[in-house]
Parts: sequence; structure tokens; C-alpha cells
Amino acid sequence: MVDWLTMTIQMASLAMAGWCLVSTFRDQPMLVPHLVGMGLLWLLVIGQGVVSAVALIGGEGPEETVMYVSYLATVVLLPPACAVWGFMERSRWGPAVIAFACLVLPVLMVRLEQLWNPVV
Amino acid sequence: MSDTTAPGRALRTGPGRLLVAVYSVFALAATARGTYQLATRFDEAPAAYLLSVFAGAVYLVAAVGLARAGRASRRVALVSCAVEAVGVVTVGAVGLLAPSLFPDDTVWSGFGAGYGYIPLVLPFLGLWWILTVHRKDRARAV
Repeated sequence: MVDWLTMTIQMASLAMAGWCLVSTFRDQPMLVPHLVGMGLLWLLVIGQGVVSAVALIGGEGPEETVMYVSYLATVVLLPPACAVWGFMERSRWGPAVIAFACLVLPVLMVRLEQLWNPVV
Repeated sequence: MSDTTAPGRALRTGPGRLLVAVYSVFALAATARGTYQLATRFDEAPAAYLLSVFAGAVYLVAAVGLARAGRASRRVALVSCAVEAVGVVTVGAVGLLAPSLFPDDTVWSGFGAGYGYIPLVLPFLGLWWILTVHRKDRARAV
């Protein structure tokens, strides 16, 4: 895993969550800019996923491989799944779904880092 | 929210949209956690791990019940949210009174403290939402 990428994903995710919460409280539905934002966030996550997968195949990875891979798969699938689910909703609750996903994502990233570099 | 007449249609719209998302994430989290622990460390605390898997199943059923339209789905969602409410309160209380019963943590331990108390709030939000939609539908039908 690339550390600065993890940091960037977490920051971008929290910024996205903040933006979507503002939209929720302003009673706005999810619009194209939100979707673009989620797309960019997803690209970052995919980047981290690819880098980590390559490292894993190269034999450099955590001991709990199964756990790590399942977390990684969840992290990669979460943004598009929530973006689609939120975009289908044409009310303020669309951005609310994205905000939730973007608050869960940094926590999952912390979990991934813990698995990758276990503190003994 | 549009003026749909099909019963259950509105359950997954509005706040229900967010509820389904939260329920899905918790279904995944609890099931994955329980299954993994069952597979690797069954002997340590089987009751706690089985409880995690059970909680995950309840979350999954609730998510599907909320997401699908129809009278039956609404009932399924209602029952699973009720089971969940009883579960999180019971497990939280048991953890306080007899900690030895569940030596390892589950989603519902400490009233869901490990997951930001969301497991404690979630079932009541679910029940509130189902009953709100139900009441609206009945008011419209009269």
C-alpha cells in the first residue's frame, strides 16, 4: 500500500462527505458534480487497489491475506455501489448515502493499513 | 416522493435510501467478521462468532426487506428491525451483567460501542421509518 495514496483517499473522502452533507442539509439531490467527485475518489481507490494487488502477487503483503483481500474488495466496490444507489434517489437523501459511504471509507482505509503494517 | 400507490414502494425512497445503504454495510461487516472468526478461531468463543453471523443475517434480511416493494417485504423489514432492536439491547445488557457469556466482541456488544453505537440507533430508525411510511399509506388509502 502507498501511504500518501491512503492519506489522499482519506482526505478526499472526508471532503466529499462534507460536501454531500451540505447538499443534504440544503435539500439538494445528487447532481453530476457529485458523481464526478465520486468518480475521482473511485479512481484513487482503484489506484491503491492495483498497487496493493501487484505487491500482494509479488509476495509482499500481510499475513492475513484473505482478510486483507476481502477488505480491499469492499473498499473498491463501496464508492460505485453507493454512488449508483444515491444517484437513483432524486432527493436530499441521495447525497446522504454518499456522505455515509465517504465516512465509512476512511475507517476501512485505516483497517487496511493496520492489516498491511500490523503493530506488534 | 411521488404519488405511488403500490404498497411498500416508498420504503426504499427518501430516508429509506440511506437506511438500506447503512443496513447493507452492516450486513457485510457483521457477516464477514463472524464467518472469518468462525473459520479461523471457532474454539475460542463460538457463541460470540455465531452471534455475529446471526446479526449479519438479520441486517441482510432487513436491508432486503427495506429495499423491496410489497406488503410481505414490509413485514419482513418490520420483524427484522424488531429482532435487531431486541438483540442489541439484550446482548449489550448481557455483556454488562455476565461478560463471561461472550468473551469476544460482536457487533452488538456494549450496545454497539465498537461501531459508534450505530447498531443501537439503527433498528429504532428502521422501525420509525417503516411505521411512518405505513401510516402515510393508510392515510392515503382512506
